[in-house]
Amino acid sequence: MTRLRDALGELAEQAPLVSLADAAIARHRRRRAVRTAAVMAAVVVAMTSTVTAVAAWPRTDVTSTDAASTDAVSTDVTSTDTAGTDAAGTDAAGTDAAGTHATDAAARPGAPDLPDGPGAGEISHAYQTQCAHDCPGPEWWVVTRTGTYRVPGAYGDAPVAISRDGRKLAYYSESAGAHVVHDMVTGKRTTSPVRVARKRIGPGSMLALSDDGRHLAFDPREGSKDPGLLIDVRTGATRSIPGVYEVVGIKDGLVSLVRYRRTDLWLMPVTGGGAPVRFKGTFIMFSELNPDGRTVAAMEFEPRRLTLLDARTGRRLGVVPVRSPKGSRVNATGIWLDRHRLVVIAGRGTAYVVDVRTGEARRHASYSSPHKPAMLILPGLGQYLR
Amino acid sequence: MDHHDGFREFVLARQQALMRTAYLLTGDAHAAEDLLQTVLSNVVGRWSRLVRDGNPEAYTRRALVNQYISWKRRVRPEVLSPWPPDDGFSHDEATLNRVMLQRALAELTRKQRAVIVLRFWEDMTETQAAEALGCSVGTVKSQTHHALARLRALVPHLVDVEIEEVRR
Repeated sequence: MTRLRDALGELAEQAPLVSLADAAIARHRRRRAVRTAAVMAAVVVAMTSTVTAVAAWPRTDVTSTDAASTDAVSTDVTSTDTAGTDAAGTDAAGTDAAGTHATDAAARPGAPDLPDGPGAGEISHAYQTQCAHDCPGPEWWVVTRTGTYRVPGAYGDAPVAISRDGRKLAYYSESAGAHVVHDMVTGKRTTSPVRVARKRIGPGSMLALSDDGRHLAFDPREGSKDPGLLIDVRTGATRSIPGVYEVVGIKDGLVSLVRYRRTDLWLMPVTGGGAPVRFKGTFIMFSELNPDGRTVAAMEFEPRRLTLLDARTGRRLGVVPVRSPKGSRVNATGIWLDRHRLVVIAGRGTAYVVDVRTGEARRHASYSSPHKPAMLILPGLGQYLR
Repeated sequence: MDHHDGFREFVLARQQALMRTAYLLTGDAHAAEDLLQTVLSNVVGRWSRLVRDGNPEAYTRRALVNQYISWKRRVRPEVLSPWPPDDGFSHDEATLNRVMLQRALAELTRKQRAVIVLRFWEDMTETQAAEALGCSVGTVKSQTHHALARLRALVPHLVDVEIEEVRR
């Protein structure tokens, strides 16, 4: 049975990486809240019925027919009332949410707002709408398995970031003056306690989000020396990122920072520390860290070719002879599906999976949108297409 | 610190191992995640009792298998996924075995599949598997027999002829 065991082991290795503790706790709390609400509602109904019955009791002396009808009417009225109040309560909340949605949806036909509660589902991709004419400005829309939604409150000119599993979305809220992390599974929104002035967000600003939604790396302006900021959304702790570095992403507690031209890669632990590694040559479009913990892929600047680099020593590990269909140009490298398969983005929104051992590329997904997007953000991809 | 910290630590340490089992049971990443999250949300409610009384991981594994067996069959909508389709690009032996095994496992009943995962992935004895499934050792034996017979027909090269080896 060794072969069966081995094959089961191989298959088990395909299980995706998950982070379920908070989601499970949220689900438990939600269920408990629903149970409590149901018990409370039952108690209220029981008490109301009792009160009604007691109130109706003296009338039984009049005539039995009268009593029966009065009782029936009272109960009806009470239950209608209770239901009415209940429904009104629910409606009040629903109308509140639905009303806001309706207003916004009416103002911006085509995409409902991202719902407040759970159920929107994991994000496939997000894009920034282009403002052609007569519109308030760019907006962020997300595509999930349940539909396409506008992200209300997301400042259109600041970047968003999606965790690698598509479960969390980070964006900048102008009204809060801070970043917000939206959990797509629980519907919970967490506003970062660290305020960031809107004027700090310049052209080409970048944002990266850790898988658990706890850490945000914010780069205020592409290509500038403005220092970036690593934010712990849970505690409000911050750590400055030297302005010469640009944020690539956050994975397994490490923030990937790249200093272009030289080229240096610094895998900085979220707690600080670590040291940059220098590569011989100029590289751009860095991937996240391979699951082996030491390999990264990047595009060599001249000649343009996909290269594997050792993030610990700076050594060049090899060149991947990408055989991409139709010769479309690679515009970004993305996440690693496993040690050998890297997602790359070619053209304007088509993802390919490249086997870095052979260079063979297979079409993976196309990211469409009803508009020609100004920016396209994919899960775990710190860079975006413009 | 909050009263869920112990649970968080447990999940952090064991979620990937549990996820592998869930994935082998369901054969689908989203379903596996759904399954594990459902079970963990039940576990969190009983956490203090589980820590006090026994082995939370064993309980979670048992719950995982039983939840899987009792799960209603649900029609799942097509899901946008960052993962590649099954007809991937690599056709080396390991990949082929994986794909063939995945398809073969899908042909088993839920109980048969659970037995295979418990016996050959979790390396449980027949007694342990029976305890986890809440059934008799005889049932585990017969389910294993039928499951292996089915697998032998579908993926003969992965299932050796002798079954004696597994009877511990």
